[in-house]
Amino acid sequence: MKRKVFSISASSTIREAAALIVEQRIGLLPVLNKQGKPGGVISLSDLLKLELPDFFDLLPDLDFVRDFGAVETTRPTPNQLDRPVTMIMQPITFVEENCGLLRAYALMVKHNLYDLPVVSEEGVLVGLASRVDIAAAILATWKNVEASRP
Amino acid sequence: MIAQILVGLIFLITLWLIFSEKLNRTIAGFGGATLMVSVGKALQFYDESHAMEAVDFNTLGLLLGMMILVALLEPTGFFQFLAVWAGRFSRGRPVVLLALLGTVTTLVSMFLDNVTTVVLIAPVTILICEILGINPLPFLITEALLSNTGGTATLVGDPPNMLIASAAGFAFNDFLTHALPVVLVVWFAALWLLRHLFRHELAVQPTNVAAVMKLKPHESLDDPKTAWRVLVVLGAAIILFFLEEPLGLSQAFIAMGAASAALVWVRPDINELLRRIEWGVLVFFAALFVMVGGLEASGVLNKLVTLLEHLHAAPPALLGLALLWFSAGLSAFVDNVPITIALIPVLQGLSADGMDVGPLWWALAFGAGFGGNATIIGSTANIIVANVSERTRTPITSDLWNRRGLPVMLLTCALASVLYLLLYTLFTA
Repeated sequence: MKRKVFSISASSTIREAAALIVEQRIGLLPVLNKQGKPGGVISLSDLLKLELPDFFDLLPDLDFVRDFGAVETTRPTPNQLDRPVTMIMQPITFVEENCGLLRAYALMVKHNLYDLPVVSEEGVLVGLASRVDIAAAILATWKNVEASRP
Repeated sequence: MIAQILVGLIFLITLWLIFSEKLNRTIAGFGGATLMVSVGKALQFYDESHAMEAVDFNTLGLLLGMMILVALLEPTGFFQFLAVWAGRFSRGRPVVLLALLGTVTTLVSMFLDNVTTVVLIAPVTILICEILGINPLPFLITEALLSNTGGTATLVGDPPNMLIASAAGFAFNDFLTHALPVVLVVWFAALWLLRHLFRHELAVQPTNVAAVMKLKPHESLDDPKTAWRVLVVLGAAIILFFLEEPLGLSQAFIAMGAASAALVWVRPDINELLRRIEWGVLVFFAALFVMVGGLEASGVLNKLVTLLEHLHAAPPALLGLALLWFSAGLSAFVDNVPITIALIPVLQGLSADGMDVGPLWWALAFGAGFGGNATIIGSTANIIVANVSERTRTPITSDLWNRRGLPVMLLTCALASVLYLLLYTLFTA
């Protein structure tokens, strides 16, 4: 688990969130309220949704499109980027520090998450566990499994 | 008398619920039909067996058969293929693209359901326009307007036509000789007007023609084998529609026969296919038939026909024009299916009363077909393209539709009126 977590305040804009993600090369940005408690998260996919045109959802497939032409050069409008992050943030799924590995992993699979915020008993964000962190911790327990007899 | 008042009230309240969209139309129809039979049984003028007789199974069978063919064709990518082909063939020239997409949508919706056609072609239209860097709005509105207009040309093009054909005993070929010539003229006029109304949007030069030329239509066809099979069966069904009179086949038999042949040939996952059938539409039709049967059995329709008796004195051609504009005006705001179902027994009553209603059926078909173009809620195809356009940077507003669709509706109805008068002898035949 990573203890140094980058986060953003609820009053920040989408533009600021994107800049922080680019600068720190991170995939998930918890959005903290005034008390420092996480009220939601912004993920890479929430931001990239603004880049993909809405009508893509209506098309059953796009395999036959070799060149997106003018769509390649369209960018979100200034209005879209200057909206507060709270407009596009998703509800947060988090675990407490003492949560079991399997529960943490199951939550990530169920909610299709790659990073899982970890909070203290008081509800304050203390770290971010990645899918690799949790999966590696689970796999590490396998070394204690006895080898099967031939 | 009590029966007639009760039945009239049930019918009017149900229509009000449907038109005001206070209740889903299928649920409203279902409830209304049940109430109608209950009142009929209590007052002993209408029961279950009468209700069964009132249902026009020829229309229901025709609709179901065609729905199955569409449901088989839908996932093959055929509609996508047509739109991509139109995009490539137009070489990105906006006016040519408008004409081609309009033609493709019209030709398909002459034989298949307008709504499915528009649902599947509209997203690819947006894609092509966005790739080109031009505004998709004129193309979406044109597709809806021309599919509504083109659907009026054939018996299977639009549900009101199926209803009219079944009630008046018109064959597939009758539409080709009576409706198609009028629709052809009206359609070209509509396309010309749309080109004029959208002249500023269509004057924008696309920036990425090369990207559209890289689209390969055959790559957008996901299941060519199934598409081919369904099209062969559809072609055979159309040939049988031409021959329905000499062969003595009903339209329902041809459509259901084609559907079963296609099902046996394609062998799809039947449960998944049946989920794509619009059962709500079929139930809605059946419910309205049961309600109109109640109106007839209670004598309300006779009363109405007696009230309309003085119409005998009116010049028949003028009566036709009045019906054309009356049904067009109503269709502009409400679904043309309940309008048609409600007007059919009135025409049948007038016919039983000795009036030659032949030309009136065609007036109703033109009015119900072209009227829906006027407003954003006039037809399901309009509502669909408006919804789809909300995912673009230029959503279609009701106000915009009034400025583009209403002139098209007025022009098509005016032209249809002129042709109706000029060709009046054709419609009396």
